[in-house]
Amino acid sequence: MTTWRKRWQRYRRQNRFLIGLYLGLLVLAGLGFALYSRMAALPPEEMTNRLLTFLLWWFDLTLIAILLFILLRNFVRLALERHRGILGSRFRTKLLLSFLALILAPAAMLFLIGVLLLSRAATFWFSAPVDGIARAGLELAEGVRLENEARARRAATLIAQELARLSSDQARLTEIERLHALLGNDFTGWVRGDTLLVELLDPRQRALARLPQLELPPSGEAGVRGERFGGTVVARAWAPLPDGSMVVVASALPPALVAPQASLAAAGAAYERLKLDRPTITATVILSFGGLALLVVFAAAWLGLYLSRRFTEPLLALVATTERAAAGETLEEVPLPAEDEVGLLVGSFNSMVRRLRDQETELRATVRRLDAVLGAIRTGVLELDEGRSQVRGNPAAAALLALPELVDGVAVTRLEEAGLANLAAVIRSAEAAVRGSLTVYPGGVARTLEVAVVPLGAEGLELGWVVALEDLTPLQRAQRQAAWSEVARRIAHQIKNPLTPIRLAADRIARHVERDDGSLRQVVQEGCQAIVEHVQAMQAMVDAFSLYAKLPPLARRPVPVKELIHKVATLYTGVKEGVAIRVEAEDVGEVVLDPEQFRQALVNILDNALEAAPPGSQVEVSLRREGDTAVVEVADQGPGLAVDDPEVLFQPFFSTKGRGSGVGLAVVQRIVTDHGGTVRLEPNRPTGVRAVVRLPLGSP
Amino acid sequence: MVLAVLLLAAAAPPLDVALTAAPARLSVTLSVRQELPREWLEALAGGAPVSITYRIRLFRNRRWLWDRRLSGHELLVTAQRDPLTGVFSLAAELDGEVLASGQAGTLEEATHWVTNPPTADVPVPLHHEPLWLVVRAEFLTRYKLLVFPTTVGTDWITRAVPEAP
Repeated sequence: MTTWRKRWQRYRRQNRFLIGLYLGLLVLAGLGFALYSRMAALPPEEMTNRLLTFLLWWFDLTLIAILLFILLRNFVRLALERHRGILGSRFRTKLLLSFLALILAPAAMLFLIGVLLLSRAATFWFSAPVDGIARAGLELAEGVRLENEARARRAATLIAQELARLSSDQARLTEIERLHALLGNDFTGWVRGDTLLVELLDPRQRALARLPQLELPPSGEAGVRGERFGGTVVARAWAPLPDGSMVVVASALPPALVAPQASLAAAGAAYERLKLDRPTITATVILSFGGLALLVVFAAAWLGLYLSRRFTEPLLALVATTERAAAGETLEEVPLPAEDEVGLLVGSFNSMVRRLRDQETELRATVRRLDAVLGAIRTGVLELDEGRSQVRGNPAAAALLALPELVDGVAVTRLEEAGLANLAAVIRSAEAAVRGSLTVYPGGVARTLEVAVVPLGAEGLELGWVVALEDLTPLQRAQRQAAWSEVARRIAHQIKNPLTPIRLAADRIARHVERDDGSLRQVVQEGCQAIVEHVQAMQAMVDAFSLYAKLPPLARRPVPVKELIHKVATLYTGVKEGVAIRVEAEDVGEVVLDPEQFRQALVNILDNALEAAPPGSQVEVSLRREGDTAVVEVADQGPGLAVDDPEVLFQPFFSTKGRGSGVGLAVVQRIVTDHGGTVRLEPNRPTGVRAVVRLPLGSP
Repeated sequence: MVLAVLLLAAAAPPLDVALTAAPARLSVTLSVRQELPREWLEALAGGAPVSITYRIRLFRNRRWLWDRRLSGHELLVTAQRDPLTGVFSLAAELDGEVLASGQAGTLEEATHWVTNPPTADVPVPLHHEPLWLVVRAEFLTRYKLLVFPTTVGTDWITRAVPEAP
């Protein structure tokens, strides 16, 4: 049912014009038939006039009705569209009103001027001179007729009077012939009852013999009658005689006179007819002008509507498409209306739409690839909005932070609830690109993360933030295991070194006891001495281990570093023969530090420097200020670094000297690091090693 | 006296209607008492053909419903003067059938002939309710405001149709 209804509605929409035309023609045919039926009995001219007037009225009324319908329909539609705020309705209303105003004024002027001209022309046609000429023509024709009739009447009366004086018929016959000739009558007759007694004809008017018999009035009074006969007009007059007979005289107008007289009469009659039809003619012409003006207005209105639709529809389609796109829908191409400027605009828009679609497709592919990459990598990546209130992560980040819902996006506050408060704080507090490490406890398990917070977009135009999370926990665990393995290896090495002499000394004592020779005492003494020496070395090594492992807590206080350096340097002056110590210390003021531990660090550094310094060289100790940092440098002129990576020298139990515990530089690094500073070894120029210690001057 | 004349003039109908009933027929005799339009008379005198159309309509008088039209007839009386002979040709047609024709020698005779046309016999259908005869004489068409046509003629005259003997 619905399908049939839809089909019918579509058919009706598509064929509305044809149906309207068909119904219009049907009504027109019915009206024409009714009109013809009513006017069949009318004279042709009057029927033509009435039919023309009717058709013009019908035409004008139809045009007015159609025009009013179209205008009202469109104005009502535009008013509704304006009320609903539909885009383009204001523009279309203005366009339509402008067209109407532009056309109505000229059309009204055309109509009024036409009516005025016609009215003046009609007045001119029916002016007094024309009326006078027509009337004069009629009067002239009438005068000729009356004169002819009067002549015939006078002749008949005269003949009747003369005959009345005569008694005999013979005398009357003679008198009639005499008077006929004397008066020059065209026809003279004497009638008694229905009998024609005498009939006298002018030889030039023999045709009058064929005149039908005159029907005389029974009253017997004299009279005259005009009639058309043989291309002329004949006036027949009669006069009675006392005996009841009648004298009849006929007078025919000359044909040369009849023709212009007939023309004058016909023109006068036509003029009177025209005068009678003047209102109808005026109405017809006015209606014609009105119809013409209405046609112009109709065409203008239609053109206005058509143009407003043609101009606005593509633009409205463009606007609607852009609005739909702004609302989040897919961009669509707009059908090309024509090859004009509007079509050019629509074509450009469609090109833009196609380009955007291609870019969107490419963007989607890129996003898919990026999603695949982010899903595959083991580095956790978090994406935050501009306000850093919402966060979304890749699967690695969700697994790292033990937050599965992170894949779909959560509020940043959810991180705090999940034991990631310090991560949330780092994310919120970052003002630029930040990198660092922190320990979080997702699910109660400690994880050390390396965090990099990077803003998206240009400076001042932040589009969001990206946080990269690298889990350092396995790496730290591996490093710790490797470090412990190294410690174990070095401790074993350090212990194994004194054990071998001890075992050799013990073996030597045992061999001499079996031999029992005289050198036993000496051997025992030497063996015991060696054993004691190596045990003492082992004791020293254990003490060093203990010192490194059990550094006391820092006891900080403001200390004048310059004086401290001078005191330590003074202690080493002359300790190694041939090696001088030179101190160049600026006054950097007091630095908050533990003086005992810092002195231990300086001692360890100077020990190494003096040991490496060859005779004749000097060890330079300097102190200077670089910004908020106090820089202490100890440089020797020894052989230089024996390793490629100086950092390994700070590892515990690492020694390139084959003696010592190998914890000196490790202790230095630990003390300096505990003070918030840094220490590094670098080559000295031209030779030697330079130890650089940097300490913060402010509060740590 | 003047009042009497005015009352008489006011009471006189513009169209006299005399009805004579016969079985299934009705004879209608009409006579115009209203002055003819000036332009109509001038046109007749000037030789233009003029006419008076008498519209005769029969209605059934229904008490509770609107009157029902039974039939309509048109009596067309034409007159035209021949300026050459001064004779007026007269003719009367009832529904397209010639009813009578004649000639008149003067304008007065011709005017009298057309304003007092021959009696028209119109058929009367069988009926039970009373019948009305509605008659009007139309002389010519004028236009108000140049374009709105109005018919110049007498008012509609209504007469009860007498019962046939």
